[in-house]
Amino acid sequence: MAKTVHLKVNGQSHDVSIEPGTRLLYVLRDNLGLHGPKFGCGLSQCGACTVHLDGKAIRSCVLPVEAAEGRAVTTLEGLGTVAHPDPLQQAFIDEQAVQCGYCINGMIMTAKAFLRSNPHPTRDEIKQALDGNLCRCGTHMRIVRAIERAAKAGAPA
Amino acid sequence: MNTRRRDVIESLEISDLGASRRAFLRNSGGLVLGFSLLGPAALAAGRELPLDTSVAALARKGPFAAVDPARLDAWIAIHPDNTATLFTGKVEQGNGSPNALLQMAAEELDFPYEHFYLVMGSTTETVDQGPTYGSMAVRYAGPQIQHAAAAGRQVLLAMAGKHFGVPVEKLTAVAGVISVAGAAGKSITYGKLVGGKRLDVTIGASGETFGMKVAPDAKLKDPSKYTIIGKSVLRKDIPGKTTGEFTYMQDVKVPGMLHGRVVRPFGVGAKLLSVDASGLKDIPGFVQVVREGNFLGVLATTEWGAIQAAEKLGSRLDRKGPDDGLAKWSQWNDLAATDEVWDAVRKAPGKPESVAKHGDVDKALKTAAHTLKATYLTPFETHRSLGPECAIADVGKDKAIVWGGTQMPHQAQRDLAELLGLPVDKVEVRWVEAAGQYGRNGLEHVMADAAIMSRAAGRPVRVQWMRWDSHGWDPKEPPIVQELEGGLDAQGNVTAWRHQMWVPTFSDTTLLPSELIGKPVGKRNLGSAAIGYEYAFDNAEVSSHNASRVGVITAWMRAPGQFETTFAMESFVDELAAAARQDPLEFRLKYLKQPRTIGVLQAAAKRYGWQPRVAFSAGKQRARKVTGRGIAWVNRDDSLVATIADVEVDQHTGEIRVKRVVVAHDNGLVISPDGMYNQIEGNIIQSISRTLHEQVTFDHAHVTSRDWASYPILRFHEIPDSIEMVLVNNDPKFKSNGGGEPSTCPTAAVISNAVYDAVGVRLRQRPFRPERVKAAMDKA
Repeated sequence: MAKTVHLKVNGQSHDVSIEPGTRLLYVLRDNLGLHGPKFGCGLSQCGACTVHLDGKAIRSCVLPVEAAEGRAVTTLEGLGTVAHPDPLQQAFIDEQAVQCGYCINGMIMTAKAFLRSNPHPTRDEIKQALDGNLCRCGTHMRIVRAIERAAKAGAPA
Repeated sequence: MNTRRRDVIESLEISDLGASRRAFLRNSGGLVLGFSLLGPAALAAGRELPLDTSVAALARKGPFAAVDPARLDAWIAIHPDNTATLFTGKVEQGNGSPNALLQMAAEELDFPYEHFYLVMGSTTETVDQGPTYGSMAVRYAGPQIQHAAAAGRQVLLAMAGKHFGVPVEKLTAVAGVISVAGAAGKSITYGKLVGGKRLDVTIGASGETFGMKVAPDAKLKDPSKYTIIGKSVLRKDIPGKTTGEFTYMQDVKVPGMLHGRVVRPFGVGAKLLSVDASGLKDIPGFVQVVREGNFLGVLATTEWGAIQAAEKLGSRLDRKGPDDGLAKWSQWNDLAATDEVWDAVRKAPGKPESVAKHGDVDKALKTAAHTLKATYLTPFETHRSLGPECAIADVGKDKAIVWGGTQMPHQAQRDLAELLGLPVDKVEVRWVEAAGQYGRNGLEHVMADAAIMSRAAGRPVRVQWMRWDSHGWDPKEPPIVQELEGGLDAQGNVTAWRHQMWVPTFSDTTLLPSELIGKPVGKRNLGSAAIGYEYAFDNAEVSSHNASRVGVITAWMRAPGQFETTFAMESFVDELAAAARQDPLEFRLKYLKQPRTIGVLQAAAKRYGWQPRVAFSAGKQRARKVTGRGIAWVNRDDSLVATIADVEVDQHTGEIRVKRVVVAHDNGLVISPDGMYNQIEGNIIQSISRTLHEQVTFDHAHVTSRDWASYPILRFHEIPDSIEMVLVNNDPKFKSNGGGEPSTCPTAAVISNAVYDAVGVRLRQRPFRPERVKAAMDKA
C-alpha cells in the first residue's frame, strides 16, 4: 500500500504518496521531475544516480525512499542552474568536460561533496575520490581538470 | 517553451486517453516532451519559436511526410528575434559532431553561432542524411549543410536587395545583419527581413543520404575568410548537462504512458514455455504481461512496479536457470563459451575477401633468412553506454510515433514500419539524445521493444533496459582471429607478409525483439576485412574470411574491425622490426610511401622526442616497475593517426599503466579544435579501457558479464598522466575528414609494443588483464 513520505529536496518540502521500498532515484525522477540524477545500473556500481543526503554523496538507485525521510536531499539541480551555475558546474562548462554527459551528474555530485572535505586536493586525491564513478566516453582528463580548476578558484563548498 | 513543437505534437497525437497534452505540459512540473532538440540555452531562456517554420508546413502536407532536401526551409529557419534553427538528420551521440555542423552552417550563413540552434534527427523535421556513424557526419553532412546555408545567405541578400531597392552587390552580410555599403543606418537583421515566414525557396538537391548534393549552385565562402570554422566554440549542450536541465531520452515522458520492462530469454535461443502471471497481481501498479512468441515484457503504471514485476518473471542479475522465475524457458546451451569463441569464429561459414595480393608469399617465406608467425585474438566487446537503452512508443491501429535516441532515426523509421506492418509515412521517429553510443548499441532494439508493448497495450509505453539487459543483449563487437606470417632476409628487410583474418559480421542489423516475436526485421550481413594496408612489402597477401552471425547479434562498435586489425598488423610489424634489430619507427618508414602517413608518424615522433633504438634493447630489468614505449598508426578512411605511448608494467602483478600518450592526428581541416581534442581524448581513454580490461564472457547459455563488476572498464586511477595532441594538416587545403573513431585504432598495438619494449613479452590476445600479462611474463 502506498504511504505518504515527507521529503526535503533542494530545500523544498514534498509529501509523496509512494510504495514503500521504492528507490529514492525513481521518486526524484518520476514523482518530482528532477532529472539530474540518472539511472545507470541500479546496482550502486557506476555513480550516475549520485545525490547528497545531509551533504554526503550517496547512490540513490539503491536507497529506499523511506531512508531519506527527515534528511536533506540535494540533487544536481540544487547546486545551480544554467543561468546561475555553481562554481563547480561552471568549471565543467569552462573545461568543456562533457561528452555525452550522462555520468556528469555523478561526477559533479561526488566531487562537490569531496571538495567540501578536501578543498585543496592533489590530482591523485581527485582521481581517488572519483574512482567509484564510471565514464564511458573517456572524459576523465577533462573531469579531473574541471575539479582542479574549481579547487584552484576556491569554489565555496 | 517552444510552442512550435508543442502544437505539432498535439496535432499528431495518437492514443490520447483524454488527458489534454496542453494541460499536461502546463502541469507537468518540468517534464519535457521532446524539447531537448532545441539548444539548451534556448530552453533555459524559455524562448518562444514561431509556429510558421518548416515543420508546421510539413505537418500540413501529411502526417509523417519525409522532408524534401531541395527546399531551403528543410534546413534553416530564421526567427523574428534574429535567432535561427538548423535542421539536420545527423544526431548527437556525445561526440559533438552536430555542433561542428552548426559551426559550418553559421559560417556560410554569416550568422552568429551563439544564436543558432539545432534540431536533429526527427523524421518529420529533418532530411535523411544517413546514419550518424563511421566518423562521417562532418565529412559528408558538412558540405550538404554548408551548401544549404550558403544558398540561404544568397536568398537573404536577394530579399534585402528588394527591401532596400539596391543591387545585391551593394550589400554586406555580417553576423545576421545585412547592410547597404556606404549608407549609414541602412541595415536590417535576418529576423526582421524574414518576418517570421518560412524560407519557402527551392535550392535543389540530388542523390541520397551520404552522397546527396544540396544547393549545387550555392557559392561557398573563400576559406581564408573563415571566422567561425576552425574556432573552438563552446558546445551548446554542455551547460544543461551540468545542471540537470538537459533532456535525455531517459527523461522524456508522454501523457498516459505505462512503464515497461523486458524479460529476455535465459538461453540466447531459448523458447518461452510458460508464464504464470498470477504472482504479479499483488504488485502495486502492475498492469499486464506482454507475450508474443519468445518476447516477454511487463507493463505497470510506475517504474518501480514494472521493475518488480519483471524481477518476479526472471529479470535479474543473478537468475540461476531457465526455470528461475515465473516465466519458464526451454533449456538452450548452444553458445560457444568464452574460451571456445575463437574456434567458433574459425569454423563459421563465410566468404573470402582479398585486400592485397602481390608477389609470391609462399616462395618468399621459403627463402627467407628468418620467418615469424603469430596469432592475434580479440574478444567480444560491448558498447556499454553508461545509460541503459530507453525508448517510448505510441502505436495506434494505423500510425505510430516512437521516441528514441537511435543513431539512425530515418532507418529506424523504415524498420519500425516493417515491424508494425505500417507504411513508412505512418511512422514517425522523434529523436531525443540518449547516453553516448559508440556505434550500434541497443537503442534501435529498445524502440522495437516499446513498439511491440505499446501495440499490445494500446497505450504509450516507455521501456528502459535494466543493466543486465544492456550488458547482456546489446549488439556486440565481434571477436576476430588473425594469423600473421612474415619473412626477413639476412639484412633485416621484409620479404614476405601474410595477414589472414576471420571476421564475423559487425553489421547484423536484425532487431532482437523482432527475432523474439518470430518476424525478423533487419539484415545479417557479412563481416569485412576493415583494414587499410599501405606497407610496400615485396610479397604480400592480406585476406579475410567474412562470416555472418557467430553466437549473438554483433554490430559496429567504434572503428569496427579496424581497432582489431590495426592491433594485429601494427603489433606484428613491431615483431618484425624487433627481429630485424631495427628501430620500430625507422623500420615502418622504410615501407611507407604516403606523405600523410609519414607526416603523422614524424609529427608524433617529434612531439614525443623519439630517439631511435631497438625495442627491448635494455633487456630484462630487475626493477619491479619497468617502462617501455610503443608506436603504431592507422589510416581510417583518409584520417591518419599516429600514437606513441609510455607504458609501465608491474612485473610482480602484471598490471599495465599507460603513462604518457602522444597523438598526431590528420583529419584535414578541423572545424572545432577543442571538440576534436575532446574526441581524441575520449578515443584514447576508451581504447585503453578496451585494450586492458574489456571482454564479454559467456557460458553455453548466455552472456555472463552482465554488470560493471564482470565487465570492468577503465577507472580514474588508471588514466594516463597526459594525452598530448598534435593536429596535422589542419588547413582548408585538406578537406575535413572524420575524427570520431580513427584515434581508437592504434592504441592496442601501441600498448602491446610498449609492453614488449619494457619486459620483452608479446601480448597477442586482448584484453591485457594483469593475470594474462603475468602469465605471459612467467612463461618468457
